[in-house]
Amino acid sequence: MANIAAKRIKREFKEVMKSEEVAGGAIKLELVDNSWTELQGTIAGPPDTPYEGGTFLLEIKVPETYPFNPPKIRFITKIWHPNVSSVTGAICLDILKDQWAAALTLRTVLLSIQALLSAAEPNDPQDAVVAKQYRDNLFLFNLTARHWTNVYAGGPSNITDFNDMVQRLLDMGVEEHQARVALSTYDWELERATEQLFS
Amino acid sequence: MSAESDMEYSDNDGDDYDYYGGQDDCDMETIDRSKSDPEYFLYSCLKVEEVEKLLNESIELLSNSLQVTPSLAKVMLHTYEWNAQDIINKYKENAIEVLVYSRVKPRVPTLQGSSSRTACAVCANIPPIHNYSALACGHYFCNDCWAMHFEVQIMQGVSNTIQCMAQECEVRAPEDFVLSHVPKPTLRERYQQFMFKDHVKSHPQLRFCPGPNCQWIFRAWVREGPRRVECHGCELLTCFSCGAPHHAPTDCATIRRWLTKCADDSETANYISAHTKDCPKCQICIEKNGGCNHMQCGACRHDFCWVCLGDWKAHGSEYYECSRYKEDPNLANDSQHAQAREALKKYLHYYERWENHARSLKLEEQTLANLKSRINQKVMAGEGTWIDWQYLWDSAKLLKRCRYTLQYTYPFAYYMEVGPRKELFEYQQAQLEAEIENLSWKVERAETTDRGDLENQMDIAEKRRTTLLKDFLDINVASSSSKV
Repeated sequence: MANIAAKRIKREFKEVMKSEEVAGGAIKLELVDNSWTELQGTIAGPPDTPYEGGTFLLEIKVPETYPFNPPKIRFITKIWHPNVSSVTGAICLDILKDQWAAALTLRTVLLSIQALLSAAEPNDPQDAVVAKQYRDNLFLFNLTARHWTNVYAGGPSNITDFNDMVQRLLDMGVEEHQARVALSTYDWELERATEQLFS
Repeated sequence: MSAESDMEYSDNDGDDYDYYGGQDDCDMETIDRSKSDPEYFLYSCLKVEEVEKLLNESIELLSNSLQVTPSLAKVMLHTYEWNAQDIINKYKENAIEVLVYSRVKPRVPTLQGSSSRTACAVCANIPPIHNYSALACGHYFCNDCWAMHFEVQIMQGVSNTIQCMAQECEVRAPEDFVLSHVPKPTLRERYQQFMFKDHVKSHPQLRFCPGPNCQWIFRAWVREGPRRVECHGCELLTCFSCGAPHHAPTDCATIRRWLTKCADDSETANYISAHTKDCPKCQICIEKNGGCNHMQCGACRHDFCWVCLGDWKAHGSEYYECSRYKEDPNLANDSQHAQAREALKKYLHYYERWENHARSLKLEEQTLANLKSRINQKVMAGEGTWIDWQYLWDSAKLLKRCRYTLQYTYPFAYYMEVGPRKELFEYQQAQLEAEIENLSWKVERAETTDRGDLENQMDIAEKRRTTLLKDFLDINVASSSSKV
């Protein structure tokens, strides 16, 4: 089985390298070691989204039974998105689960994940907290996602208000990421975030 | 696989009715049970081979009338919940629609022609042309990949719903196609086992007995309401509709809520009832968090004894006197504490009774066993014959049935809204309970001479049970079917 898996991955690797998306810088695929069982994908945050300008790394694990079972993919770069866990980076995408087809390839999967960044599915959330914010306060969601893109994915928009609040919590001795999660979760209300952190 | 299989569904009904009507062991009224027993429900208990035969009849009927392979007939029957007649009618109207809906054919015809094949899209190999195959959708892949695909799917427990490997193609692989690509005997067997299980699950009239390792399958003849089925193999009493233990008068949705609640809450409830008491002076709820029984209420500073809830001042040398178990109900009951505790108390009230009857039922299993040996003894000692004692055996079984129903009246009452209907229910419940305890008492002490008395008591208890069910089972049918 592994034979087919390795063969497929090698071919797909070539396919991705030759594709126009790689030339355009939208996606990238790299080997982690020589075993062909683990790869690292990169997708660029799509334009006109809060993720624009960010570079997101993905961990791709190829199972023994590939391509008859889907690859296991999660975000390494922290991201604020309804269908991605802000804690583990796990992705909720149908083609990575029951809608997987053996004829799909890493290239199509990477493009689908990129498309997911442009069009979230808040009704099928992976991260309930993020999804709630997406539904209830889209404006704040966009700002938060932009802020995370700036901090973790090298995005351009620096939101000073948010940075200040994170700094306030840092001064109280809270760990940076923990502080950011608390603030993001409580709609950037410093008091409630503090209360939660110290309760 | 007999050739003469034009037998139709309805042909069986009459025979089975008599068969199962006559089979009942311990009922006092065997004539027209549907009227006397509100729980009466027509079903049969089948062996695997009988069910296979039943399914094969539908498959043959369909494959003969539509002139399709049995494999395709299976795919369609699985989709249309085994209603062969429905498929035949719809097929006559619009054959394509039936095939598309069953996912035998693709909705949009595939453009890819059979000649334009290059490398297999899955493995990237270029095998000889005769090593390619495709489903009705025309997505060609090499046979090795199909074999691997089926192996992976079968190992994951998928059988009827294995799909084509192409992206966004929902066409299902019929049995003959799968088997032609799977040579391993163990895998073929596994596949066929899963197929059978899947067929039974998709058939609205069939359900596996939920008993552990039980191989029997129930076949129901009506589609509505709470449906009591007793397995011929493991004797488990379950509900055909939901697979939970039989639960009249409570309906399926309610019993599910109740059982989840019991699973979730009992621990908390047990903790609260075991570790907290109300202060005898100000009634605030107190948790005991240390070993000392000398308590001081945090709210009113009252000193009291945890064990007897009496004033601590009275506890001198007699302290150990009150380590005997006695709880003063008056002191513990009058709580003015939060509603949560009220709700908990209500829940515990019903839960304790529910649990208690469950335990009694288990104990009465023992009584039944003891009874058997007692009857044997009596017969051996020449005090009457087995036939003389038979009534006692019947009464013990009836007792079991009555107590079972009684147990399941508690979740029903718990979820009932307060009002005259609930009052009526609880009145009937109390009546039933009283008669059951009378019966229980009499069964344990019966002699041949008391036969008349005992039979009288049996009749009363069973009447109470059926009255309660008749009065309250009907609305259940309505409410449970409206919820589904």
